[in-house]
Parts: sequence; C-alpha cells; structure tokens
Amino acid sequence: MLKGMSENEVLQNRNWNVLIYMAGVVILFAILLMRLFSLQYTHYDENLQRSENNRIRKVVLTAERGYIYDRNGEVLVRNRPSYQIALMSMNMPRKKAGRDSLFNRLLQIRDQSGERLFDSLSLDTAFQRSRWIKNRPIRMLEDASAEQVAVIEEHSEELPGVVTVIESRRDYPYGTLASHALGYTSEISEEQLKLPEYEGYTQGDRIGQKGLEQFYDKEFRGKNGMKLVEVNASGREVGTVDGVDGTAPVPGLRLVSTIDLRLQKVAEEAIPDSAKGALVAIDPRNGEILAMVSSPRLDPNIFSLKKRERNKGWAHVALDSMRPLTNRAISGTYPPASVFKLVTAGAGLENGILTENKYYPKPCTGGYQYGARYQKCWGTHGNLNVVNAIRLSCDVFFYQAGLDIDMARINEFGRRFGLGEKPLGIDIPGEKAGWLPDSASFNQRNKRLGWRWARGLILNLSIGQGQIVTPLQQATLIGSLATGKGVYRPHFMKELRDSQGNVVRRYEPEIVRPGNMKEYTHRVLLAAMDSVVNHPGGTGKRGGLPNVRVGAKTGSGEWKKGEKTHAWYAAVAPLYDPEIAVAVIMEAAGGGGAVSGPIAKKVMQAYFENKEKDEEGEK
Amino acid sequence: MKSGRFLDQSLKFDWLFIVLTVALMSCGVTLVYSATLAEDISVFDMFWFKQIVYFVFGSVFAGALVFVKISWLKRVALPLYFIALILLCVVLFIAGDVVKGAGRWIDLGIFKLQPSEFAKIAYLLTISSWLSKHPVSLFKMKTFVVPLLLFVVPFALVLKQPDLSTALVFIAVTMVGFFFAGLTLTDMFLIVSPLLSVLFSHSQAIGFEVLWGVLICVVVFALVRRRLPKVLTGIILLANILAGYASSMAWNMLEPHQQKRVNTFLDPMSDPLGDGYQVLQSLTAIGSGGLTGKGFGNGTQTNLAFLPEEHTDFIFSVLGEQFGFAGCAFVLCLYALFLWRATSICKQTSDPFVTLMVMGASTIFLFHILVNIAMTIGLMPVTGLPLPFLSYGGSFALTCMVLVGFLLCLRYQARRR
Repeated sequence: MLKGMSENEVLQNRNWNVLIYMAGVVILFAILLMRLFSLQYTHYDENLQRSENNRIRKVVLTAERGYIYDRNGEVLVRNRPSYQIALMSMNMPRKKAGRDSLFNRLLQIRDQSGERLFDSLSLDTAFQRSRWIKNRPIRMLEDASAEQVAVIEEHSEELPGVVTVIESRRDYPYGTLASHALGYTSEISEEQLKLPEYEGYTQGDRIGQKGLEQFYDKEFRGKNGMKLVEVNASGREVGTVDGVDGTAPVPGLRLVSTIDLRLQKVAEEAIPDSAKGALVAIDPRNGEILAMVSSPRLDPNIFSLKKRERNKGWAHVALDSMRPLTNRAISGTYPPASVFKLVTAGAGLENGILTENKYYPKPCTGGYQYGARYQKCWGTHGNLNVVNAIRLSCDVFFYQAGLDIDMARINEFGRRFGLGEKPLGIDIPGEKAGWLPDSASFNQRNKRLGWRWARGLILNLSIGQGQIVTPLQQATLIGSLATGKGVYRPHFMKELRDSQGNVVRRYEPEIVRPGNMKEYTHRVLLAAMDSVVNHPGGTGKRGGLPNVRVGAKTGSGEWKKGEKTHAWYAAVAPLYDPEIAVAVIMEAAGGGGAVSGPIAKKVMQAYFENKEKDEEGEK
Repeated sequence: MKSGRFLDQSLKFDWLFIVLTVALMSCGVTLVYSATLAEDISVFDMFWFKQIVYFVFGSVFAGALVFVKISWLKRVALPLYFIALILLCVVLFIAGDVVKGAGRWIDLGIFKLQPSEFAKIAYLLTISSWLSKHPVSLFKMKTFVVPLLLFVVPFALVLKQPDLSTALVFIAVTMVGFFFAGLTLTDMFLIVSPLLSVLFSHSQAIGFEVLWGVLICVVVFALVRRRLPKVLTGIILLANILAGYASSMAWNMLEPHQQKRVNTFLDPMSDPLGDGYQVLQSLTAIGSGGLTGKGFGNGTQTNLAFLPEEHTDFIFSVLGEQFGFAGCAFVLCLYALFLWRATSICKQTSDPFVTLMVMGASTIFLFHILVNIAMTIGLMPVTGLPLPFLSYGGSFALTCMVLVGFLLCLRYQARRR
C-alpha cells in the first residue's frame, strides 16, 4: 500500500477512480450517441436518399493488355471483347421463391436454334456462390456469343440480378502461327496465386502462360483503374458518383518482337503439322530471332474460349502423344549429330592439331578399327583433309581427329559458341540447357546405370553422338561460327512501346559467350561450311541458293536403333557477311541434307527475296 | 440443508450481469443472422448457428471458471504469460498462416488459434498480479521497470504481426492498470500529454497554436502542482515541446505519398476508393436507418451487400440500419450497464488484484466497443477490432466469455469471503 495512507483511504481513493472511469465511459458513449444522432436524425434524409437511389458500386476498369507486333509492325496478338453473363448477388430476389423462379427462367432461355443457354450445373454453382460473393459479379456463361447476349438483354426486365460484363480476351489472328513463341493467356490458377512472383494478382486475372505472354506478363498487364458508379435496382449502371474521380486504367505496354511475319509464314508452311520438328532462324549479328517454329503446333485461341470448349481443346493438346505443348525449338533436346563436327574441327584448328594439310594415316574405307571395336562410317571417302571431311561428313576422319584433340579441348571450343550446360537466356520461359559430356559429368550422370567413361566414347562424341543440344543452340552455333564475333543472347523483344507508341524500352544486344577464334580457324571453318553446300559431293547442296553464298552443315542424329535418323540442317547466309542463321530439325525423318536442307533453303530464300523487295520499295 | 446452501451460494452470482451478457449475445446472434441471411443452406453452416455454438462453448468455459480460486489465478498468470509469448513467436516466425498477408493464426486442424487473443488474457492476469503486489509511483521510477518489460514483449510481438489495433489493446490495459495501481489522474494526464501535443500540432485547424499553448500551460500547471522529481518534470515538458514542433517538422519531411497514407488511415473518407469506401457504405447504412430503423431483415437489401465484412467488423452498421438510433442506443445502454456491473465488483473487495483484474477486463471490452463503433461511424481509422458479443468470430467470442468468466469468478469469490 502507498505510504502514509490507511487502508480505508486507499479503498476510498480506489472507489473514486472507479467512478472517474465510469464517468469517462459515459462521456465517450455520449459522444458516440451524439454522432449517431447526427447521422440518423439530422442527416437522415440524405443518407436515406443515398441508400435508396444511389447504389454505389466499385467497378474495376481492367487495363487493356498490350499487343504483340512483328518486326515490321504487323499485329501478331490483339484483344477482342468477350461477353460474360453473370449474377449480381445484391440485385437478385432475396426470397427463396424468387430465386427459384429466376433459376427456372434462366434454365428455360433458349437461343434461336433452340439450345439452352445455361446448363443446370453451372447455374446451380453460380447460385450457390451468390450467397457468399456479394460485391462482384459471378460468371454463369463465359465468352457468350453476340446472339446469346442479345437474348439475355431482351429478357433483362424479367431477370433481376443478371448482368452482362464485357471482358477483353486475347485473340491470335494467325492461329497456330508462332504459337510456342507467343504463348497464351488463361485465368490465374489457385497454385499460381500462392507463388511469390504472382504477388498483387487477384483471382480471375488472366495471365500469360508460356512464351512471350508469360515472360512479359508484367509489361503487358498495365495497371487497372477503378471508379465508383451508381447502379439502379436491377444492377445496371446509371452514372458515376459526383465528386469522386476514378482512376483511369493504364494500358499495358506493346511489344514489338523480332519475329518477321513473312518469314515465319514461310517457315510454318515448310514444316507440316503432322511432322515433329523445329526451326529457328536468328540474326547472328545481334541475336534477334526472326522465326521460330515448333511442330506440331497448338492454337492459343482455344484458351480464350468458354470453359467447355477450352477444356476440350486442352485435353486434345495435353494428351496428344506428339506433345504439341512442348516448344521443341528451345525445350527439345537432341544429339547435335554431324553438325558438331564443325566444333571438333574448330577445336583441332584452334589448338594447332589440325591444319588444312593434315591427313590421318588411316583413310576412310567404310569404317575404323578401334581396339576390339569396328566403328562404321556412312560411306567410303578415302584420304581427306579437314575441309573435305566436313564436306563429305566423313566419320573416320573425325574419329581419329577426336582422339587426337581430346574432349576437354573440343568441349571448351563448343562452350565458346553457346553449347553446353548453361541456357542462352532467351526471353521466353522453358529453355533447356544442353550437355557436353566429359569423363566426370558422364560418370556422374550415368552412375545409376553403372556406365563408366571410356576413351572409346570420344569416337562417338567427336561426330556429335552423345551430346545434347537444342535447335536454338544449333542456330546460334552456326551463326556465331560464321561471324566469329561472339554469341549474342537470343531474344524476341525488340522494343516495348506504350499505348501512344513511344518507345519505353529497347533491347540492347548482349554478348553471352565469347565466340572468338583464331583468324586461321575462322577461315578454314568458313571454307568447310562453303564446301558443304557449294562443292560437288557436299552433303548440303540441296540447301543452296542461286544468288547468295550459303554455308551449312548437315547432320543425321541416331537416337534409336532401327528408327530413321533425326534430320539436322544448320545453315548461315551470306556466308562471309552473315545476316541469318537457320537450324532445322525434323525428328525421325532421315538424312539432314535431304529432308531439312530444303526447308532451311525456303526460309533463307524468302529472307533474301523480302530483303530485295524492301530495298526496291525504299527506292 | 445442502440444497439450501447451494441456493444461498447461487444467489451470490450477479444475475443481472449474466442477464446483460445473454442479452448482448442474443443481439449478436440476431444481427449475424440478418447480416448473412441465406435461405436454403444447411443450418450447421450458417454463421449465426456457428456463433451460437461458440457462445455455448464459451459459456460452459466461463461457468467452469467461476469456481477457480483467486490464488490459483495468480499462480498460473506467469506460466500462461510465457506460453502466450511462445505462441506469439511461433505464429510470427514459424507457422503463420499467410492468408491475407498477416500471420495471425496457428492452424490446429479443427480450429485456428489466434495467439494474440490468448495473449490478451495472459497479459491481463500477469500485469494485474504484479501490480497488485508492487504499486507504481512516478516518484519511484524503478517501480515501472518490471511492468514495462512485461508489457513491451507481447506488445512488440503483436505489433510485428502486424496487428496495430490489438497492440493498442495492450496499451489500454497497461494504462488502466497503472491508474489503479497508484497513479493519479494528473499523472495519467501528464503521461498522455505528449500524445495530445502531437495530435494538436498535426491537426491543421487554425486554432492549433492557441490550443497547443493552452495545453502546454495546463501541463506546466500540473507539473508545478504535482512536484514530480526534477528529471521527470524536465522530460515531460521537453517531450511536449518536442512533440509539438518535431511532429510537424517530421510531417513535412515525409514524402507526399507517405503523407497520403497517414491521412488515409486517420481519415478514411479522404480515399473513397480504398478504406473510405467501406466507411462510406457504413455511414450510409447507419444513417439510412433513421430513428427506428428499417426493420429486422430489411437491411441487407440495400447497402450492406457492399460491405464485405458486414457480419464481423461492420456488424454495428447492420444494427444501425435495421434498428436505427433506438437500436444503437439500446445496445450502448446494455454495454454501459454491463461495464457498470463489472466495475461494481471492486466495491466488494479490498484485494488490489481483484480491482486490477476487473478494471483490466472492463478496459478490454470498453476499448473494443469504442474503437469498433467509432470506426463504423467514421470517427476513427478502419482497424480490425471486433465488437464484443456482436461480431461474428470464434476466437474473440471465446476471449469475451473467458473475461466474463473471470468477472463472475471474482465477484463470487469476493462475496464469499
């Protein structure tokens, strides 16, 4: 107890404090009551007015998603309006009977062909949800047709709480064209909502999935706006609220891509949808991707359709054994096959082990005896130097060269030009890394199988059997070998522009691998690539062009005994001043020169024809 | 004989207090019912039914608490306090449910434990038990060390969640505790005065200089009368002057968007698309209720469908709209009577622990009532404090019933002595 106070005094003091406390309570409650009185009596009329007539609702103004253009300004991806028929819970009848009759009326509505607009299951779900979700529309019919909207609007008087909401959905005017590069959009999934990178997204947002749509989603989205509107008794907007300014939506950025629509069209036509394969056309001077095809394709428009059709389309592509969802151009991993001989030769030249005049003691007699093993060649080529070995794609020469050079040097040279375990960093998701095996990584990867590294494996590896590359890597490889000026990061984004067309961001080309070599190495490799196309007996002569000097290398990748080989063709043109590098792979289609060569030729031919036309047009 | 004695003892319950509690609970269930009206759904899933279950469960708990000995309450205070701290740490650093951004719950499968609710009770017990043995005095600053330590740890943990409004409950309980453990009204005023200085200097009304001048004069006068130790006198005076000047200086140093954020918090109506939207709808709903209201069940038709939290934080708007000023006044009267019956327990006893417990528990109720109602009528910032007995919610209903249990227990035992 406090000093100098008797217990009685303390108690009295405490009782006073309790009294003070209760006095405080009374005063504070009185303040609340005064405020309530002012609201409910003094300002009763205006509040009643507001509650009766001005039903204020918050409306989100969705920002328009940015378009995607090709390099010449052609629209590749745009938006279209999509009508959703929805329930507005607060405007629905409150009594059970009223709701039931609304339910039945909706169920009975038919379009002109006599089909029901709604099925009872989705209606029932929407009605269930309408009990909990009161402040936003609940969708009953997704992506309704103009006719369906008209039917609903006709009956709007008898359908309290049923509203039509306009959304914007993605439209891909060229269908399957470049579908893997562009990607598609769909509603954000529950799982995605939980991920940290989707912070700030809300349920029902449509987001980019795969391709450019996903990679640049933040840029495409823009910023949603908001406004307060007055609605009438059936939930229809009648005007805005005075004195409250909404925030206008900021449209998303537009992406000008590096894709050349004309070239992409030619490439798409060259590869039939029934075949499995991929094509990458890239500008080796800066890494701009001019065309990218992965076959079979999918139509991104199916993801903008209504649920039932979307699910049907999705099941179709997801269950297809041809796996159309995979972007083979960046996610497909294949053995590089004979295209890799350029790397083996380059490593030999770079390290002084090979020269133009170097001949190996064993000529090609159709095979090579290594220890107890007899490794075959695909033909009988006799004694060759490096240029002719590449021209004829002779395996025996490279068996011996590979043993001479050793894997470490070969792999080091390959990594300089973009091969290996590090993805190149293209601006769409899903890029796979390759693999250049050496003894350590080979043993580690095959530990489970019990395989051990042996020197004999160099035979296979030096002709490109055993490594893993993507078509994108093959394209950058041949391109950067031809330029000798470094490997540029492959990319699709040329510019980002705002809705007024002002450039917001420009892609700065970036060297990601050194791509350097000695002058001599460069010269010999160019001569070799030249001879493949332009000298008699060259394996790639079917890829040649009449007016432009093309350099190339073919490949026929073995992947399974008894199956046809993967047909590789990697080409670059003009060889001494490269502008375009193309890599084509056709899965299990046969020889590279015969199958893939003509495809690459078509693309390059189109490129130079277009260029000529453009130059004429400028004149 | 035995039954006679039981009757004798049962008369010692505060029946009026129990009636008031039940009345408030009935109001709550009624309002939750009308706020979440939906005709054809299983009765067990309805909010009002679940609320009844919570109340029944809580009442059983409260009934059991009546027979707990006061000495036992004192003994479990500290262990409970440490358990609460551990739970707060767990929710903060390990098991926080990250839904809605704030980690406040521990999911135990059947129900979600909200450690900050548990901490309120544990803290009340602990601070009351300490202060009942160690009165505080501004003349002996040492007396504040332990209580402030006890206060700061749970306060900081709750603030970190972040749950500002619940953290403020701890401040309210502590202040009232000090008031009933030795400080005078003048002392309380002096402690709060720097805060008033900030308030006066922040309000950009014209009379600020004058108002603040008057405040400083009053503070000086109080200091002279009270004759506190010189150091403390200096600190209080300095704090007032600094608070007056520094706060406006600090305010000017804030970036415009930060200023806007503070303004929006203090005055939601300045952002009608954000927080102000709810308040705007709430004001319209309450105001349109008029003197007698629109009648039971007729409210949600118009405005309340716009309020996403109508059955929890904004339940008072439902009351205001459906039962008007009369309904609001009636409920406020119930609350006032409830608090009067609670505080009247003090008169039964000379045990300072009982006094501190009673006043602390009343303060928890009072703080929730004031902050919640003031929020729905636009007098205070939008915070997430529920309204005792009226708002829907299991955790808080249980907290309320535990506090009611304490109050009944204290009265029962104090009378029995």
